[in-house]
Formats: sequence, structure tokens, C-alpha cells
Amino acid sequence: MPRVCNRRGMDLKDDAVKGIVPWDGTLSSFDFSLSAHTFSDKWKRFNPSFPAWQWITCPKQHHLVASHKVEGYLSLENMCHIKSSQSLQEQESDRSLTWKEESNISQREEPFDKATLVCPEHEVNHYDFHIVYSASYRVPVLYFRSYRSDGQLLPFNEIEKDLPGHSAKLRSESKWTFITHEEHPYLNRPWYKLHPCGTSDWMKLLFHSDSSLNKNGFVIEQYLISWFSVIGQVVGLKIPLEMLDTVVSNDS
Amino acid sequence: MEALLQFAPMQSSVDEGFWHRLSSLKLNKLGIDDSPIPLFGFYAPCSHSQVSNHLTVLAESLPSELSEASLIPEPSRGNRNRCSVPGILYNTNTVESFHALDKSDLLKKEAAKIWDDILTGKAVEDCSVLSTFLVISFADLKKWTFNYWFAFPALMLDPPATVVNLKPASQWFSAAEAESLSAACNEWRSSKSKTDVPFFLVTIDPNSRATVRLLKDWEACQSNAHKILFGFYDPCHLPNNPGWPLRNFLALISARWNLNSVQFFCYRENRGFADMRLSLVGEALITVPQGWKDTVPSAVGWELNKGRKAPRCISLAQSMDPTRLAISAADLNLKLMRWRALPSLNLNALSSMKCLLLGAGTLGCQVARMLMAWGVRKITLVDNGRVAMSNPLRQSLYTLDDCLNGGEFKATAAVESLKRIFPAVEAEGIVMAIPMPGHPVQSQEQDSVLDDCKRLCDLIDAHDSVFLLTDTRESRWLPTLLCANTNKITVTAALGFDSFLVMRHGAGPLSADMPVNNANGKHRLGCYFCNDVVAPTDSTSNRTLDQQCTVTRPGLAPIASALAVELLVGILHHPQGIFAEGDINNSVTGATEQPLGILPHQIRGSLSQFSQMTLIGYSSSSCTACSHTVVSEYRNQGMEFILQAINYPTFLEDVTGLTELMKSATSLSLDWDKEIDEEEDCVEIQ
Repeated sequence: MPRVCNRRGMDLKDDAVKGIVPWDGTLSSFDFSLSAHTFSDKWKRFNPSFPAWQWITCPKQHHLVASHKVEGYLSLENMCHIKSSQSLQEQESDRSLTWKEESNISQREEPFDKATLVCPEHEVNHYDFHIVYSASYRVPVLYFRSYRSDGQLLPFNEIEKDLPGHSAKLRSESKWTFITHEEHPYLNRPWYKLHPCGTSDWMKLLFHSDSSLNKNGFVIEQYLISWFSVIGQVVGLKIPLEMLDTVVSNDS
Repeated sequence: MEALLQFAPMQSSVDEGFWHRLSSLKLNKLGIDDSPIPLFGFYAPCSHSQVSNHLTVLAESLPSELSEASLIPEPSRGNRNRCSVPGILYNTNTVESFHALDKSDLLKKEAAKIWDDILTGKAVEDCSVLSTFLVISFADLKKWTFNYWFAFPALMLDPPATVVNLKPASQWFSAAEAESLSAACNEWRSSKSKTDVPFFLVTIDPNSRATVRLLKDWEACQSNAHKILFGFYDPCHLPNNPGWPLRNFLALISARWNLNSVQFFCYRENRGFADMRLSLVGEALITVPQGWKDTVPSAVGWELNKGRKAPRCISLAQSMDPTRLAISAADLNLKLMRWRALPSLNLNALSSMKCLLLGAGTLGCQVARMLMAWGVRKITLVDNGRVAMSNPLRQSLYTLDDCLNGGEFKATAAVESLKRIFPAVEAEGIVMAIPMPGHPVQSQEQDSVLDDCKRLCDLIDAHDSVFLLTDTRESRWLPTLLCANTNKITVTAALGFDSFLVMRHGAGPLSADMPVNNANGKHRLGCYFCNDVVAPTDSTSNRTLDQQCTVTRPGLAPIASALAVELLVGILHHPQGIFAEGDINNSVTGATEQPLGILPHQIRGSLSQFSQMTLIGYSSSSCTACSHTVVSEYRNQGMEFILQAINYPTFLEDVTGLTELMKSATSLSLDWDKEIDEEEDCVEIQ
């Protein structure tokens, strides 16, 4: 069994690079972690105003395949999306229905305190993004979730309001970028994800359409950067052009 | 310029994982034990110019249910974004006791602990206790909602402290000092042992060199007569106010070192590094009276909910309710099918369709499962039998438990089983026998049989499609007639020992909206009885055991059931629906206009040959169930007609002229159509 895995993991890539077998747009889990590190390094370098992508290592979970490889995923957490004051007011009225003020506590239980600042905060939506490798599709998958400051998770119709206009267009026009709600493979809680079933196809197109990308070795290392340049748009995360540029400049 | 020093309250944020772990702790370990649970919260310096950092609790805040007897979580140290803060959780068993908790008393208790830690000096050794917090909660595990309320106890100085000269650190310090301090802070933050120590001292020597030190070094740095500032990780982002942790820090400084004037440093970051423009420095003036240390100061700190004193409530049904999760997972499978392979798949038509399954045996069980897999949500099963010991092996909805104590009614047990498989199914079980022609009834039973007829009639009216899955031919007669009368989509599956028939019935003979001349002027498609030349009679009383019982190859029923369901899905997606012509498997072209492929009329298969073929049989004008004559007679006479069919074995044959036909058939050698001949070979006795 492990031999077969190794073949899939390594040889295929080599074959693809040598051009013996047409590359199918996928990558092995080893190449995923390789490419992930390249991606997070570049992100840090060219995207300093954003939080960094962290590599989170996880204990091996797939017992079917014996392997000593360490698994993990990339994580970018706590991106803040600050809501306008108007939508804050809407929320106020939504939420006022849920709890009535407990007037009994105000006087009896707590002394009035002048030193406590009373100041309404912005309503902020927080976003967490994870890039996880899918062993069945052999491609990276973007998982994400959003929550209010107090931790309440947002349903997708709320998230949609935060997404840029071109995201809806992208999602409706391309049948490869639909969003589903599925269990996070490591956290075992439902997260939103961009379904990976078309990823290898459009990755193949992406690489073949740009011959400068399709040179020895760089294919795999640059995989995540190219992949994210497409996927990131769906969730409103842009990749700085320089990140893509270096793909070409390193190559030449 | 002296102003009241106002502190921005600490805010809480609860990660979903916290509630997941609390739920499983409660269910698997704590039970009704509601004693307070120690936990940890985490916070970090503010790192966003517009957003304050929150005190966060997550799964790791609670002890794992797997951990040994101890319920004390171990904080992980050394994470720069997770300075751990001890807390205590009061999780009540009812919403009433949640509201009844004496919040004032709980806050006082925690404040007294903090005060004690200040006086004993413990807070100097382990400064995280200064930010001790308290949570009360009620977890409604049936609805996946959580009521909760955080408190961040803050000791009040009386009179309150005032502040002078509050400004960004970059303005307070000289450029050299600010640069040196930034470097010292960054070093502190990158040291594994100090990164999560949120209170510290800053000394600045005459050469503008800044040093960051632990609180316990306070005495040591006195002698050097440097500038001394009291620094803390400030979660607050506001430009004119320090964050909450400074309150208990000032109480500590005043109580322990008797300072009246305190230079404080609100440490804030940007992109993980010290940011002197966001960080604040100010001078707090404390004027507490003599002897204030003798009593525990009053405390405040219950978190407001949108400006009001109220608990918060969070619902995680979306991610915790297994029913919802099952629904979204089931929907996803179907949606993926639509996205990827069948863009025209009409999931709404499937989920809104009401299916009536007559018979809950091998076929009924399997058909129900397949329907659910296709996204059908409304299923009614009719059967009058009970689950027998021999059933569970072949009838996939039953287990041994259903057979005990005489056996459950199949209709009831099947519905329960369907709900266990998929809780969102709207399944109903009806225990009733289907009246059969040629099975005469006693006059005293007549009323109840008529009731059953009417009930069946109502059921068929109330559903969109009907499956005939009973184990005798004659029990299919009445439903076939009723479906022909109301023009319902009808699918029949019948089994022999190793052969099967799956077919859809054609439209009824009187259906008004039938397309004129039905496309190519062809006949309407036949029903199950159209190819028979005898009316259904009692097929059970004169049979040997192997013919009477369900003796078939076990693989047969699942094959036939699956085909029956696929056939229904095909009808639903065909533009002509019930009027669609029968397609024949065309292996030459293989192509078809419909995304789901061809829509056959009949599929006959044989396991002995591992073969399957598609056939067309048109309706017969002498059919005992769907012919114009029979349906018209039923419309005219209603139940009287049915009663006669039940009581007189030759009644139907007489009505349809079959008796006449049979007579002539015996005297003439008939030249049978080849197609019918083939079909005759596949006799199904079920």
C-alpha cells in the first residue's frame, strides 16, 4: 500500500514535469505542504498589511493509509470586516427581540460606575480561512467561516453581504466555484467551503494557458499561489500582483 | 488638565468549539453536577486600529472530557496571541436557575479573590490572575442554544482615578526612547517565557534605553532611579481610553506600592509588532483614603449586551443539530449531482412529491430507501402485515427487535426506521389491507372492506405517485383501477424467483388532458393487467408454499426496487410526464435527448441470464383494470362495481368481454403478436 501512495505522490509529479504524462491539475499531499510554505512566505512578503498564513500541523487522521508524513493546513484567522453603521442599526433592532433587559440587576446588583466607558463598538464580522488538502480530489480546498465579535456564527446569506460583487457573478457563472457547508476535516465542525470538484480541471487550464508557469519544478511550488489567485476572489481576498509576478521573474 | 480615567470594558468572544466541548462535557462527564468549572480564557494586545481584541474562550479553555479525574485545564503557554487568563464557569441545569444566580454575589466573590491575590502578592508572581473572569451559562442541549453572561471583575477605586497627559506613546516618548521601547517590547513578545505575561514594568534609563521587566523586579529598579512605567497588554483600540486590565493593575499598584501617581503604558501592536502610535501612555492620579485596604473594594464588570444589562444567547443549531446536518448533507449530495452531471435535475419536484407505497415488504422497504436517496421526503407506506422473524434479512428497514412480541406492524416499523435513517423524512404508515377481486367477503365484513376501498381511494387522491409493491397480482388490481381513474403516475414492480418486471402504467383512459392522438397516433401505454387475458383471481389459496411466499433470489428485489425508483425519477423529468412514450433501449445510437436517458415502459430482467430488456406494451381495450369500459363502469357505479368484482370471480372478465375472447381463443388457434409472446415468458408471481 505505501508503495502505491508514494508512486502517486512523487512519480506522477515527476512525470508531469517531464511532460511524459499530461499533467492532470492535481498535486500530492507532500507537494501541497511544499507549495503551502512557498505561498505563506510570499504572502508575508508581499501582503504585510494582512495577517499571515500559519501552517497548522495536525496528527495523522487517515488510518487507511499508513504514513509517517505530517499533515497540516494553512490558516488565516481573524480577518476583520467592519460593518457600516447603518447595518449595525439593523442588527440592533433584530437582536432587541431576543432578550429583555434585566432591570433588576441594574440598581440592586451592581453599583453605578463612572469609570466604565460607555461606547458602542463597531459591529465587526470576523473571518477565518483554512486551506486544507483534499486527499480524494488531490487539490487544495478553501474552508472558511465567519462570526460576529461575540462568536455567533454567520449564516451564508449574511456572509454573502460581505462578499464583493464579483463573487456572486463568479459563483453563478462558473460551475466550479460553488460554496457548500461541510464538515471541516480536522475540526469536525461544519465550515463553508468552495467545493473542489472542478479544481483540477481549471488548474490544468490555468497552467496550460500560461506557458511561463509550465516549466520544470515551478508548477508544483507555485500551485497554491495560482490557485489562490482564482479562489481568493470568490471570498474577496485578493492576491498582490507581485506574488504572481515573481512566478515569472523567478522562472526567467 | 485632569480628567476622569475611563476604561473600555473587556469584551468576550466565544468560539463555537467552546460550546461543542461544553456540550460533550455536560453530556458525557458532568451530568447534573453543576459545580463551578475552572477554565481559561485568552487575550492578546490589540492589533487592529479599529477593532479591540476580545477575551476569547474556545474548546481548549475547558478540560477535555478524556482527561483524568481532574477537571482543571492546563493552559498552553508560550503562544503570543493567547495570553491565558483564569476564569470560572457556573453552568446551570435549568434556565430558571441561570436567571436565579446571584450575580452580585458571584462578582463579589471573584473580586475578593483578586483582592486577596493582590494583598498576598500572588498577583505579582502570576499577573494573569488580575484579569480573572467569570461566566454563567445555561446550555440547552436539546435546542443547541446557550445563554451566557461574562463578567470581568474590576476593583473600583473610590474616588475614581483621574488621568493627565494621555497620549500616544510615540508622542510621549522621545524618538530614541520609542525606538528602544519598541525593540524591547518586540523582544519580550518573542520570548517564549514572557510573551504571554500581560503585565510588566518599563524602565527607561538616562541614555533613552528602555527595558521591559517582570513586576517582581519593582523593588530592584527603584534604586536606579529611572523613569518607570507600568505596562500591560491592552486589548482596547480606542485612542483616548485604556482597556479594562488597567483597573485591577492600578488597584495592585496602589495597594502594594502605595503610589499616588502612576505612569501607565497601554501596549498595542500592529501586524505582530509593537506600535507606538497605537499604544498609549498616561499618568493616573490615585487619591484613595487611608485604610481603604481594610475592606474589599466594590467591583463592577458584568458585560453589557449591546449597551444593556442582559445575558447573551447564541444558537448553534445550524452546526450542532444532527437533523439539520443530515438534511444539509443529503441536499449537498443531490446538489452536487445537479451541478456536476445533471443541471436539469429538479430537486424541488422530488422533495415536494408525495409517494404512496402499497406494500412494505422486500420491495417496499427498498423503494422507500431509494426514494429518500433521491431526495423524496414525503412517503406513505401501506401494509397490513406484521414483521416476521424471516423478514429482516431481506426487508431492509427491519431488525430483529421489530419481530419480537408478535411483531410490529410493518407500516409502523418501516416509518420509524425511515425516520432513524433520515429524521427529516415525512413518512406515514397505514395499516390496512388492500381489497382484492375474486376474494369474496362475508356480508358482515362488507362495510369494513368498503371502508378500505374508500380509504385507498382517498390515499391515492392525496398522493402524486403510487408504487404497487404487494406480493399478489390481485392486490394490485384496485389501486391500478383507481390510479387509471385519477391519472396518477403508477409504477409496478413484481418478482418471480429469478426474474422481475418493473413498469410504469400509461395514462388513464379518460384523462382529459391527454395529448390528442398521443404523438404518433399510438396507443396509450398499458398497465400491469393489460397483457393478461385473465382477470385477477385468488392466487394464494391454491399455491404450494414456495409459490405463495416470497421465494426469490435475494438480489432480485433490490434490483427491481432501484429500477422502479429510477423509472419514477425519469417520468418526473420527462417533459410529457405520464404521457411520455415508451423508449426502447437503443444500443446503436446510445444518444438520447433526455439528460437522464431513455424512459422505458417496461423493464424485464432475469438473474438466471443476468439480462435485462426494455419493452413496450400498449393498453388493451379488454384490460380488467385500466380499459375504458372498466374505468367508465367504476365511475358510474362506484363502490358497487368494486364489490361485485371482489365477490364474483368472473365478473371482470364478463364486463370486459374477456370471457367471450377466451371462448373464441379455445376454438381458434390465435396468431399471437411476437412481442406479447416474449412477455408471456416472463411470468411474475408475486
